[in-house]
Order: sequence, then C-alpha cells, then structure tokens
Amino acid sequence: MAVSIIDLCVNCFACEPVCPSNAISEQKPHFMVDPKKCTECEGDFPVFQCASICPIEGAILDSFGTAINPPGSLTGIPPEKMAEAMAELQSH
Amino acid sequence: MQLPVLNDTPSPAEHGAKGGCSASSCGTTENQMDTLPDSIREKVQNHPCYSEDAHHYFARMHVAVAPACNIQCHYCNRKYDCANESRPGVVSELLTPDQAVKKTMAVAATIPQMTVLGIAGPGDPLANPERTFETFRRLSEEAPDIKLCVSTNGLALPDAVEELSKHNIDHVTITINTVDPEIGAKIYPWIFWKNKRIKGVKGAKILIEQQQKGLEMLIAKGILVKVNSVMIPGVNDEHLAEVSRVVKSKGAFLHNVMPLIAEAEHGTFYGVMGQRGPTPDELQDLQDSCSGDMNMMRHCRQCRADAVGLLGEDRGDEFTLDKIEEMDIDYQAAMEKRKVIHQAIQVEMDSKRLEKAAKAEQHKQEPKLTTRPVLMAVATSGQGVINVHFGHAKEFLIYEASPEGVRFISHRKADQYCGGDSTCGDGESVLQLTIRALAGCEAVLCSKVGYEPWEMLEAAGIAPNGEHAMEPIEEAVMAVYKEMAAAGKLDEKPEALRANA
Repeated sequence: MAVSIIDLCVNCFACEPVCPSNAISEQKPHFMVDPKKCTECEGDFPVFQCASICPIEGAILDSFGTAINPPGSLTGIPPEKMAEAMAELQSH
Repeated sequence: MQLPVLNDTPSPAEHGAKGGCSASSCGTTENQMDTLPDSIREKVQNHPCYSEDAHHYFARMHVAVAPACNIQCHYCNRKYDCANESRPGVVSELLTPDQAVKKTMAVAATIPQMTVLGIAGPGDPLANPERTFETFRRLSEEAPDIKLCVSTNGLALPDAVEELSKHNIDHVTITINTVDPEIGAKIYPWIFWKNKRIKGVKGAKILIEQQQKGLEMLIAKGILVKVNSVMIPGVNDEHLAEVSRVVKSKGAFLHNVMPLIAEAEHGTFYGVMGQRGPTPDELQDLQDSCSGDMNMMRHCRQCRADAVGLLGEDRGDEFTLDKIEEMDIDYQAAMEKRKVIHQAIQVEMDSKRLEKAAKAEQHKQEPKLTTRPVLMAVATSGQGVINVHFGHAKEFLIYEASPEGVRFISHRKADQYCGGDSTCGDGESVLQLTIRALAGCEAVLCSKVGYEPWEMLEAAGIAPNGEHAMEPIEEAVMAVYKEMAAAGKLDEKPEALRANA
C-alpha cells in the first residue's frame, strides 16, 4: 500500500514537507515516494496529504495506479476543452 | 514609524497633507509617490518597483527559491518554464538558498544599481518558509546594503509576520484580487488549508480572511504593504475599486492593478477557457477611477520570478548557475563601490526632481491651454531621457500630455510576447505588431526613426519624432504637445482616437 509520483511531477517541493511519514524525497528526474515508508496517511490524516497539495493532475497515483487527481479536477479545465485548445495550437 | 492600524477610515496622515502636489494640480508627471506621507515616501522613493522615476535608475532582481504553492489561481499554470516567456510564476532555474545568496551578490557586484532583492516565487514564498527565510537571513547578514522584499498570496501570511519582521524586510506585497468569496471562487479553484484541499467559495473565503488578517498584522508591525490585483474583465474588474478602498483603509500604501495575461498556449484556466485580458484603455480607466482613493502604480512590468536588471530588461542570462560559479566576488569591495554609485545616482535623481518641480511651477505660471489630452509613446532605456532608436525599442512608455501637464500612464511591449520569428500568427511583421501596440498614441518620441517605420507610423496616424534625443521625457512630451497645439492639431477630437479628458 503506497502512492507513487510519476513523471508528470514538476518538482515543486509542495508534497515533501506535508508527508507525515517522510516518505517523499527529491530525486532525479522528479520527486519519489519510498513505498516502504508510505502509509497512505493512515492513522494521521483522512486524505492523502501529498495528493491534497499537488497542483498537477495525474502526477500522483494510488496503489491501484489510478490518478488521485484526475484531469480537470484541479484546474477546472474540462479535459475536452484542453484537448481542443492543444489541437488548435498544434495546427498552427 | 507609525502607520494607521485597523481603522476603517483613512487617517489624515494618509491624505498627504505634506505630500507635495496632487495629481491634478501638478504641472508635470503625476507621481504615485506624491500623496504619500513623508515617512513612507522616504522609504520608497528609491525603490524601482514603487517609484516611477526611480525605476529609470535603480534595478531589482528576483531569486527563484520558492517553488511550492498552497493555492491555485486560474491565471497560473504550475507546469510552465519557458525561457522566452516573461510573466510572473515563470522561471528557468530553481535555486537553493545558498545559490540564491551567491547569485544576489554576483549581481550586486556586477550591476551596482541593483538595490532590491525580491522573492516572488515561482510558487508562494511563504509556502516555502525555510528556503525563503534562510535566503533572507543570510542576505541581511552578508549583503546588508540590499533591500529585501517578498510577495505572497497571503494564505500563510499571518503565521509569517513575526519572522518577516526579524529580517531586513520593510516591504511586503500581497496579491489581493477580491474581498468577496463569491468572486474569489471564480479566481481560485482551491487552497490547501489545515491538511485539506478546500475548493470553491469556502476556500476563497479562508484565503480572503487570511489576506486581510495578514495585511492588518503587517501594518501593526510598521511593515509597508503594497497590494497587487490582477484585473480580470467580467470577473473582478468592477469590484477592484472596492478592493482599493478596503486595502487603503487598512493602511496599504500602494495599489498595483495589473492586466490579466491569458493565452491558450500558457495552458492556464483563463487562457484555455478564452478569458480575455483588459485593453490598455480599460486598464487605464480602472487605474484612474481608483486613483482618487489610493496611490496607484502604473509602471509595473509583471516580472518573471527570476528577473534581473532594470524594470523592462532582463539580464538573467548573464547570471546562470554555471556563470556565477565562476565569478569570484569580493563583496566588501563591491559594497564600497556600490555606495559611491548610489550616492551619485541620488544626486542626479535629486537634481532631476528639483528640475521637474521647477518646470511644473513654470508650467503653472504659463497661460493654460484648453486643448484635449494626447497619448504619446516614448523609447527610453533609463535615466529618464529619450535615448532609444525606434527599431531597437523592446517597450515603449506611454505618457499623457494635457493642459494639466504630463503624466505617466503605462508601458507597452514592442516585440512579440513569446519572442519567435519575424512573422507570427496572422503574418504580421514585428513592425506592424509594434505599431499596433501603439494604438491610441498620436506621437512616438525616440532618438531616431528609420525610413520604413517612419512611413508606416505616419500612415497609422502616429507622428514619428526624433528631434528630442537625450532630452528629459516630460519636457520633450510637453514640447511636442505644445507644437501640436500651436499647429491646431488638438482642436478637434480625431474620430479613431479616444480622448479621456
């Protein structure tokens, strides 16, 4: 049972100090969770602390590999609207 | 120093009983310093970010030591890092406090006019208290001749006030976009607060309460507070006059209303959702309407969180980590040199200020014109004089000349925002884009203007003028205004132009 940080991470340091288990550390190319230390905040907090401050959708996965903050959940930008804008930019 | 504390009505001291001339009676440049009490004016008059005339002489830098943030704003994208972009929250290299101290001292030794070090991100400085305060602590010890500033969204501010007051920090900037949680929910999708992500109106309400509490606590400590607001048309534009009134009543000394920057390619909520920024006219109208209650700031360049140099220039490339590593700085020697240079600048600024005041007095004695106001663009690289070739100008300063005198209005970028090649988007040339950026201006004053732009400027109804090279800006603008008046060009209001009398 552990969360993981994947390569969408932008290295903003926000998660590192809020982890109650000191399971997160600065690594190259991005921050990593030590699965041996991660408790999924059980006993400390009702919600994942790292995923509650992380600003990047999809950067932190739960133990099933599912994004805790799915697309659109943090920025409020509907995913289809984002896809549309990106397609529009690439066509130029 | 004494500042008004927690009062709901502005104290008489703030009305600037002693504070020079008011904007409307002053012959030349409306200066946002004019209505400040002397005690505050003394502290800020040489600060490039606070004083319009000081920003022609003194430089500033930001060090990017604070990556984490505790809120999300709809105009910010935390994924961004682009060398060609210039806007807040964008940086190229994140620094450790140790690297930041080295960089600051390297810049201070190389650019002696640099007097101010700010920490402004790319996240929120107070959401990174250890990195931010370590940098401040070391700089107040090792480089005591540098003024320290910090800007914050305010969420963590009440907890940081005590620590802030221990360092050499006498200015704090709080970004306050609203005092209404309903409006706040349209700007801030979430905050991280007491171990939870809180969305919507509830989150915005906490943020607003923390901002106001922090503002009050800073004022009570005698720390100067400037308030930044991002003007978002249709969201908080009509509400910002209220924000201005509230923050002034609590003792903030300066309000900086900045235009929203939103493009789809930035990947921000506002950019992707097509929220537009204000036009220069809309921004100016709002700043003018707030200026009756509050000292407004108009020369802000919305710097990157790692900008270096005079406002309007960025010399960050000269001070990358690998370059500062090779520099050997003797800061004691640098401080001696800096002191001499600062004194020389002070003498020059003081004499210019006296000259300006004398000109203003002289202007008052002259028969008053009854002509309409005119906007003019000026190309300058500093020192308060017209000294840049039209084709070399990266930005233009916009001044308004009227029978009341000359006042600074804003700056406009000349080159394409993202850099890029000579044609961009609709196939417009950089020259065409530059001329479009000068819309509303009737003259452009520079040290020289080439043949091609000359013709295009004339065709666009903007009179090119290279006759005032190396002259002080306000004097030159007034001279051109008088020439236009004498030539009968100001009797009628041209159709396409707006004259906001």
